[in-house]
Amino acid sequence: MNSGFKSQVVPSYRLLTDEQIKEIHLASLDILETVGVRVNHEEAVEMLRAAGCRIRPGHIVQMPGWLVGECIRSAPSRITIYNRRGEEAMRLEGRKIHYGLGTDLIKTVDVRTGELRPSNLDDVRNAARVVDYCSDIDFVASSALPHEAQTNMMYIECFRAELENTVKPIFFTAAGREDLAAMIEIAAAVTGGEEALREKPFLINYSEPTAPLVHSYGAVSKVLLCADKGIPICYTPADVMGASAPVSLIGGIVQANAEALSGIVIHQVRGKGSPIISGFFATPMDMLSSVFVYGGPEFRLTHSAYADIYHYYGIPCWGAAGVSDAHGIDQQTAFESALTILMAALDGANLIHDIGYMGAGLIGSPANIVMSNEIIGWVKRMMRGFEITPELMGLDMIRSVGPGGDYLAEEHTLNYYKSELWRPRLSNRDDPDTWLQKGGKTFGQTLVEDTQAILDNHIPEPLSAEVQAKIRAIMAKTEEALKEMYFIA
Amino acid sequence: MSEMYGQLSVAVLGGSLKEIKKLTQMALDGGASAQQVLDLGLLPGMDEVGKRFKVGEMFIPEVLLSARTMTAAMELLKPLLAKSEGGGRGTVVIGTVQGDLHNIGKNLVAMMLEGAGFTVVDLGIDVKPQAFLNAVKQHKPKLLGMSALLTTTMPRMGETIHALEEAGVRAQVKVMVGGAPVTADFVAKIRADAYAANAGAAVEVARALVGD
Repeated sequence: MNSGFKSQVVPSYRLLTDEQIKEIHLASLDILETVGVRVNHEEAVEMLRAAGCRIRPGHIVQMPGWLVGECIRSAPSRITIYNRRGEEAMRLEGRKIHYGLGTDLIKTVDVRTGELRPSNLDDVRNAARVVDYCSDIDFVASSALPHEAQTNMMYIECFRAELENTVKPIFFTAAGREDLAAMIEIAAAVTGGEEALREKPFLINYSEPTAPLVHSYGAVSKVLLCADKGIPICYTPADVMGASAPVSLIGGIVQANAEALSGIVIHQVRGKGSPIISGFFATPMDMLSSVFVYGGPEFRLTHSAYADIYHYYGIPCWGAAGVSDAHGIDQQTAFESALTILMAALDGANLIHDIGYMGAGLIGSPANIVMSNEIIGWVKRMMRGFEITPELMGLDMIRSVGPGGDYLAEEHTLNYYKSELWRPRLSNRDDPDTWLQKGGKTFGQTLVEDTQAILDNHIPEPLSAEVQAKIRAIMAKTEEALKEMYFIA
Repeated sequence: MSEMYGQLSVAVLGGSLKEIKKLTQMALDGGASAQQVLDLGLLPGMDEVGKRFKVGEMFIPEVLLSARTMTAAMELLKPLLAKSEGGGRGTVVIGTVQGDLHNIGKNLVAMMLEGAGFTVVDLGIDVKPQAFLNAVKQHKPKLLGMSALLTTTMPRMGETIHALEEAGVRAQVKVMVGGAPVTADFVAKIRADAYAANAGAAVEVARALVGD
C-alpha cells in the first residue's frame, strides 16, 4: 500500500489563477451591463427585454450580471455528440479533447497537382474522406468553400458532401435560418426523425457574433433555431486585436468574453438547457500585412485563457489548432500546426476545430489534414502520460538483467511495448541508409503520396438509398424555396 | 503431413513458445526428418516473420518472440541434424570489437539471425582480433559478424580482417560489419564483404552472403 500516492503521471497546464478568472469575468459583466451588445433582431431584443435586460436605442441590449450568471448555470456542462450511425463519438465535457476540421476555406492546394486554386465541392468530399480515414481526427467540417456551388445552396451542398463521405460528426456553417433548417431536416432524415436527432445529435452548427459587440440578424436567427430544436451550436466570436478588439491581450479577452457570454444569454433565454459550446477567438492583426494571425503565440495565450474561463464556467469549450499562416505544406505550417495542436491539448479544449487551416484561414489541403492527424497522435500519446506501478517499474527484471545485459527479449518488453510506445504512422524513423533506399523523401512528399493513396483507396460507408432519396427531395424543395432569398449576415 | 508443417509455421509466426516443442516432437514422431521439420515448417514461418517485419506489420519484440520459438524447436532438432548442415542456414560467429562495450545492437542481430535459422556463436563484447580469429578456426563459420558503435573502435574491424588474412583463413569466411557509424565506403576500405544498416537488413545480408 502506497499511502496517498497518485500513480498516474500526466502533463498539466493552466494559465489563469481563480482570482484572475474572476477578474476577467467581472470585467466582461461590466461591459455587458454598461455598454451592452447590439442585437440586430427584433424578436430577440423583445425576448431579452422580457428576461430583464435594459434596452437602449439602436437595438443595444444591456445584460444584468444576475441574468448572465443564470444562463451560465443553465447551459449544460456536458454534451454528447454521436456519429451518423448513432454511436457515441465525442463527450464535450471536462478536459476531454477532440480534434476536427474548420469550415469555408476559399483556396485549396490540389493534392494531385500541387497547384493553389479556388476550392470546389470535390475538396469538401476529399477532406471528409480523409477525416473518415484518419483515426485521430474526431469530427469533420467542410474545410473548403466550393466556388462553383450556387450561393444559397453551397452550405447544404457541403453538408451533403460530408454526410456522404464520413460517418464522423459534422461541424458546419450555414448562411441563415432557412438553409440551416434544411440541413437539420436532412440530418433528421438520417437519424429517422427530429426527436431521434435531438436525442443523439451528430451535428454542431457553427455561428459567430461580430466583434466588437454585435449580434447580426443572421447569427441570432441561427442561435434561436438551434435553441428551439435542441441542435448543439458553437457560438463564438472572432476578435482581431488591434482592429475589432483592443490590441492588448487582456483587452481582447474581456471584450471577446463579453461577446461570447451575451451569445450564451440569447441562447439560454430562448431555450433553457439547450446545448451550446462556447469560448472565443482573440488574435492580433499583423501590423504589416493586416492579416488576421492564426499561427502566432498571442492566440495561444488568449486560447489558454478562455479554456480556463470556460472550464470555470462549466460550459463545453471549443478550440482552434492545427492552424498556420503559411501557404502550403512547409516548415512553417509544420511548426505552427504542431505547437497549436499541443497547446490546445494542454488547454483541455473540448471541440478543437480548424485542423489543416493554412494561409491564415484561406487555404486548405487534404495532405495537411493528414499531417495534423500524425501530430495529434503524438500529442494524445504525450497527454496520456504514464503510470507508476511495480509491474511497469520492473525492479525484479532490472535485477535479473543486471549491468551490461539487455531487455530485447524480456517478457516485459513484449508485454508493454504496445501500450507504452506510440507508433507513428508516417514519421520517418529509418536509419539514413534505409531512408535513402526508400527514396530519401521529405515528410512533405510522404504526406502527399499517403494522402493520394487514402483518396484512391478509402471507401466510406455509404448512406442508404432511402436516405439518399430523402436528401435529394429535401434539396430540390429547398433550392426552389431559396431561389429569391437574400441572406442577411 | 503438410498440415503439420503449416502448424509449425503458424506456431513460429505467432510466437507460440509453449506449443512449439510439442508440435516439433509430434512432427518427428509422425515420421518427418529433422531437416524436413526445419525446411518445411520452421523456416517458412520465420521467412514470413521477416516479410511482415519489413513492411511494419510485426515489431521487434514479436520478431524476437518468434526467434525464441524457433530456437526452442532447434534444441530438439540439432542433435538429429547432420553436422555439416550447421543446424540450418549455417554458423555465424558474432561479437562487438575490442574496446567497445556496446552489445544491444549486436544482441539484436544475433537473435534475429538465430531466428532466421543460423547457428550463432556470440563472442560477446570487447572481442580482440585474435579471439575472432580463434573462433573462426574453431567453428568454421560461413559468416563472421562484427559490431562497433563508436568511430574510435571501428579500426578494430579492419585489424581483425587483417588478422584473418595473415592466418590464411580470410577466404573461408564472409565478413559482415554493422553499427551506426559503419558505411559502404568503410566496408570497401577494410575489405569486408558487406554491412547492414539495421537488424532487419542484417538477416537479408547474411542470407545473401551464404547464397540463400
